[in-house]
Amino acid sequence: MAHAIWTGSINFGLVTIPVKLQTAIRTNDLRFNFLHKKDEGRINNVRRCSIDGEEVSYDEIVRGYEYEKGKYVILEQADFDRVNPEATQSVDIVQFVELSEINPMYFDKPYYLEPEKRGRHAYALLREALKAANKVGIARVVIRSREHLAALKPNGDALVLELMHFADEIVDQSSLDFPEREKPHENEMKVAKMLIDTMSEPFDAEAFHDKYREELLAMIEARAAGKEAPKAKAPVRSHDNVVNLMDVLQKSLEESKKQRGAQSAESASERREAAKKKTARRKKSAA
Amino acid sequence: MSKRTTANVVVDGRTLVVSNEGKVLWPNDGYTKGDLVAYYRAVAQWILPHLADRPLTLERYPDGVAGGSFFEKNAPRGLPDWIPTVAVPSDSGRRSEVRFMLCNEEPALVYVANLAAIVLHVWTSRVETLDVPDFLFFDLDPFDGCSLATLAKVALGLRAALEEIGLVPVVKSSGGSGLHVAVPLAPEYSYEIARSFGEMVARTLHARMPKETTLERMPAKRPQGTVYLDYVQVGKGKTMVAAYSARARDRAPVSMPLDWSEVEALTRKRAKETSAEFARFTIKTAPERLAESGDLWGEPYWKVQRLDAALAKARRLWQ
Repeated sequence: MAHAIWTGSINFGLVTIPVKLQTAIRTNDLRFNFLHKKDEGRINNVRRCSIDGEEVSYDEIVRGYEYEKGKYVILEQADFDRVNPEATQSVDIVQFVELSEINPMYFDKPYYLEPEKRGRHAYALLREALKAANKVGIARVVIRSREHLAALKPNGDALVLELMHFADEIVDQSSLDFPEREKPHENEMKVAKMLIDTMSEPFDAEAFHDKYREELLAMIEARAAGKEAPKAKAPVRSHDNVVNLMDVLQKSLEESKKQRGAQSAESASERREAAKKKTARRKKSAA
Repeated sequence: MSKRTTANVVVDGRTLVVSNEGKVLWPNDGYTKGDLVAYYRAVAQWILPHLADRPLTLERYPDGVAGGSFFEKNAPRGLPDWIPTVAVPSDSGRRSEVRFMLCNEEPALVYVANLAAIVLHVWTSRVETLDVPDFLFFDLDPFDGCSLATLAKVALGLRAALEEIGLVPVVKSSGGSGLHVAVPLAPEYSYEIARSFGEMVARTLHARMPKETTLERMPAKRPQGTVYLDYVQVGKGKTMVAAYSARARDRAPVSMPLDWSEVEALTRKRAKETSAEFARFTIKTAPERLAESGDLWGEPYWKVQRLDAALAKARRLWQ
């Protein structure tokens, strides 16, 4: 298992259970690097000042909050530390509720709480008690220096800490256009229910895969295998490149010459005319 | 500060409003917008041939060089109808086309200067032939620790390489720390050809001067003290700071065409840094120099050349 995010404790009442906070979600996204099409050079981001155009190093960067167009309040690390809730590294349970009371939209991201050796007994006790009471704990927890609201849920052998959104983060439904509640026609309802019944089966998460990812991965593997040799990353000697370039250039020049030759005499005279005008203008402005 | 905030100026029979002439654009030098307008008017006859018929991008500094700036490709709102524009399909996707202004005459130049458009960037092609460049362009950009002499040596090395294959280049200061080298072309070669040709020359030069030059695009990977040979600034829509354009730097330097003998003289200088040398040419000193020596990027220095024979020579000599 990877490193714990933090080591701390679950606290409620006078009970303290030492735990480690562990990641529960693996991000499966394929990671791509931005490359320069021409030579596969990695694209890197340059932090550049919009005023003097100079590159700016991290130690010269401060965070500013734009409170009015173009006007900033500058906050330094010390300021953030000041208002930061104490990095208690604890899950402080403030109440217990029934899971069904919580709108699932509030749930954001689950973490595992893994007990430390001396907390195993109390951990198991809390888990079983929650199951028996059919309750979950509502807790405050600090992760990466920010305080979150979270639910503590029994899940198999584990206690899962699921971060929750604060109420003001949820977009109000009234801001969007949904049909009003209405009593549907009985026959329509019957048909809809029948359709739902025929498609009903137990949920099996394993049955679903990220097809997009799989297909992308298959394509990448095929391409990687199809390459005769890995592309030379060491700088190619200038001279070899020059010789190749010359060959390519020779072809391009011959082609463009052919194209020029194919142009009618008429357009050639047009070009001469334009050139004459240009010279005239140069002379005029030089005078 | 001047008390009058706007003044009418008649240029070539057109009346233009110059607002806030007294606004300081170069605070460390005390130069004002009026000075910028006066400069562009003084050098109009020399700069206009380099701007004429080329899509123009303005780099504007409404609050002076110490304040914010922005690039303006689209012709500014309220552009007088006598200033011509050219529509070019946009590559950014936000709009279908970009309408560039063309600065073909002195009144347009005054109009531009009044916008505090200090730096003028032009395409390397002209409206009649937007798909083909009319010069090859090498941007010699000294990296940290590159001395003036090294920069000059690299420029001379580039000139020598070009002359070996029968091409005659011209050179100018960028107005910042580097040099711009151009080979005037008959407008017949695609951007792709021009770019590949530039790459061939740059690689050849790099093979000859590996310690003094770099082709590394990533600044972080460039060796200290080298000159970055930038041959990739060639392409449809890519721009160059126009000859005689002012720069938004202290002392108000301008991009100044040079005689190659002046570049040779630089090889004997000891300066550890390059920009101070080129800051000799400013909006205050340039008009006098121009009156004396004329346009070193004009006739007879600007010779329109062809690449076919040059490539044949390169294949014979460099292969």
